Amino acid sequence: MDGALVQELWDENPDAILAVAPDDAVLYWNRAAQEIFGYTSAEACGRKLADLVIPANRLAEERAIHQEVLRRNLAVYETVRRRKDGSLVHVSVSSKALKEADGRLRLILSTQKDVTHLKVLRDSKLVEAKFRDLLESTPDAIVMVNVTGRIVLVNSQAERVFGYERNELIGIPVEVLLPARFREAHNQHRSNFFDSPRARTMGAGLELYGVRKNGEEFPVEISLSPLATEEGTMVMSAVRDISDRKKADQKFRALLESAPDAMVIVGRDGKITLVNSQVERLFGYERAELLGQPVELLVPTRFRDNHPAHRSHFFSAPRPRAMGEGLQLFGLRKDGSEFPVEISLSPIHTEDGLFVAGAIRDATERRRYEHALHQANRLKSEFLANMSHELRTPLNGIIGFSEFLIDEKPGPLNTKQKEYLTDVLNSGRHLLQLINDVLDLSKVESGKMELHPTTFAAELAIDEVCSVLFPLVKDKRITIRREVTAEARTVTLDRRKFVQVLYNLLSNGVKFNDEGGEIRILADFDAPGSFRLRVRDTGIGIDNADFPKLFVEFQQLDSGATRRFGGTGLGLALTKKIIEFQGGRIDVESQLNVGTMFTVHLPVASPAEEDLAEPEAVV
Amino acid sequence: MRPLVLIVDDHPINLKLASEVLLASAYEVVVAADAEQAQQLLTTLVPDLILMDIALPGMDGLALTKIIKADPRLRRVPVVALTAYAMRGDELKASDAGCDGYITKPIDTRSLVQQVRALIDAAQAQPPTK
Repeated sequence: MDGALVQELWDENPDAILAVAPDDAVLYWNRAAQEIFGYTSAEACGRKLADLVIPANRLAEERAIHQEVLRRNLAVYETVRRRKDGSLVHVSVSSKALKEADGRLRLILSTQKDVTHLKVLRDSKLVEAKFRDLLESTPDAIVMVNVTGRIVLVNSQAERVFGYERNELIGIPVEVLLPARFREAHNQHRSNFFDSPRARTMGAGLELYGVRKNGEEFPVEISLSPLATEEGTMVMSAVRDISDRKKADQKFRALLESAPDAMVIVGRDGKITLVNSQVERLFGYERAELLGQPVELLVPTRFRDNHPAHRSHFFSAPRPRAMGEGLQLFGLRKDGSEFPVEISLSPIHTEDGLFVAGAIRDATERRRYEHALHQANRLKSEFLANMSHELRTPLNGIIGFSEFLIDEKPGPLNTKQKEYLTDVLNSGRHLLQLINDVLDLSKVESGKMELHPTTFAAELAIDEVCSVLFPLVKDKRITIRREVTAEARTVTLDRRKFVQVLYNLLSNGVKFNDEGGEIRILADFDAPGSFRLRVRDTGIGIDNADFPKLFVEFQQLDSGATRRFGGTGLGLALTKKIIEFQGGRIDVESQLNVGTMFTVHLPVASPAEEDLAEPEAVV
Repeated sequence: MRPLVLIVDDHPINLKLASEVLLASAYEVVVAADAEQAQQLLTTLVPDLILMDIALPGMDGLALTKIIKADPRLRRVPVVALTAYAMRGDELKASDAGCDGYITKPIDTRSLVQQVRALIDAAQAQPPTK
């Protein structure tokens, strides 16, 4: 045979033939070697074989085989080699050492056959037998690959999810199940996994996608587990189609976006996991600047220290509530400016654990309105106080001169003159009462009312009020009975206000009572420190549906009542305010045509408590 | 002799009312429409009592009361503050200024005379100070 033909037979041999020098440099590399490993003869020759095709984790094995070749001149084995593109191939290798006459190594000649596919079929048979039944029972799609990344097993869930028949998948690179744009990087990830195989979630924090046979992409979650077998390590991937969850997530995000408030979702660790675009607008940050950052970024520095404690408090008892009720809260913008906010918090339970959703509203406008409202109210009260003063001055002349005339100081009057002057006087007094009530109301509202508690005899104060109303009581032949328990005989309260309250309640009782009716005044303590005053009449009664209107200014229940019974329409409203100003409360019970009972509770230092305090004073 | 009452009030009708009520009960009355006029009158006159409106144009009634109470010749004259305010603080301000009594407007024509008489009697019962 001529040399050229021999050369051609070597070059065109269907198996890879290669020769390396004792220093591992490639001397010869035929066309089949190029096909298996991806390097041309020109690229390969002169370079070390270990650098070209031997995976890092096979170097030790390779050294052992090398020793065997030197010792026995021949070795036949199966192993894994790395291609130029990084992917792995299974090869069946026969190596032979060629030596010099003196026994020194001259070169190593080897033929290598690509058995990747054969190996896959072998592996497939093995794992099918071992795991197939087991893996059919899991709800996830299972795809198992061997070290070369070829699929060796799929369960029927995987066939369904990816839309392939089992036999279309066995033996081909697993990358067929990935969108094209991820395939190249996947090779590398896969070999990294084999370098340090352990069970884990694939691409934690990344969005992963699978691709179906029809080209449709879908979001997935993948967990990886290494599986040691007698044929080497395999990787089992459990693939879950999370399209539905993604859709729910997208709905949630859309909902979040549609909320008028800025929404921030924060985990137990205080890191921001989600914000809507209202947050970007309100705080001036881009979304990417916020995600993963501590939520304290949005809190003015002077409040930051306490914030984590508040947060762990929320997580210890999660329930929807307003943040910092009764407090003025502030947000901090990216540009360093602060603004008032209102925040409501809700717990969100997710499969990733508990989160808190904060709805944040810019309260700048609201605080401004509140301030303006407060201001307006104060002006109104001042105006009323001044008006009342101005209105009383002319009344001085009206009331004073009519009294003076009725008393016939300037001279005698006839009956008609006296009657009409009495009408003038009563109208003047009515107007005065109205003005006084308005003045008192405005004092309560503007916070100018003061409390001056003194210790006084309750019975005397009650008698004083009764005597003022005596003319009216006599006309209607009403009986007033008062009962004051022993401990309520002396009380410490603002006497003037006590008299005012009792006067209002009693005059109501008289006005709305029938001729010959009865009024009972009961004063006692219903608990230590709680003085109780009850005024019960036998009058026309009040429809329970009218109770809410009872204590509202100028809301007389029967529009004719003023004409028939007199009164300002302010009495009960004022009474309630005076009582509440003292920390007390007023209740009403009534039955139509049977009567009404008002009950006033006022906090007061009870005599019993004072007695207890005395021994301490002695010691 | 009829007791003499000086009434200081800038409101003419109120001034007239108080005057008429006291005149009808056998009091002599001198009137002033402001503090300055009253001060002028007091240079030649020592009344038995002064009814002093607190809110006056110019010098107010409390300032005049302080001047009166600082004057050895006038300090024993009872001063009764007249006010349309019903604030408790006003009563305190009046007594701080040296007022001997306090009447809230509108005045009660029936009790005014008794109040005036009681204060004059009390002042006269007091032994003269040095």
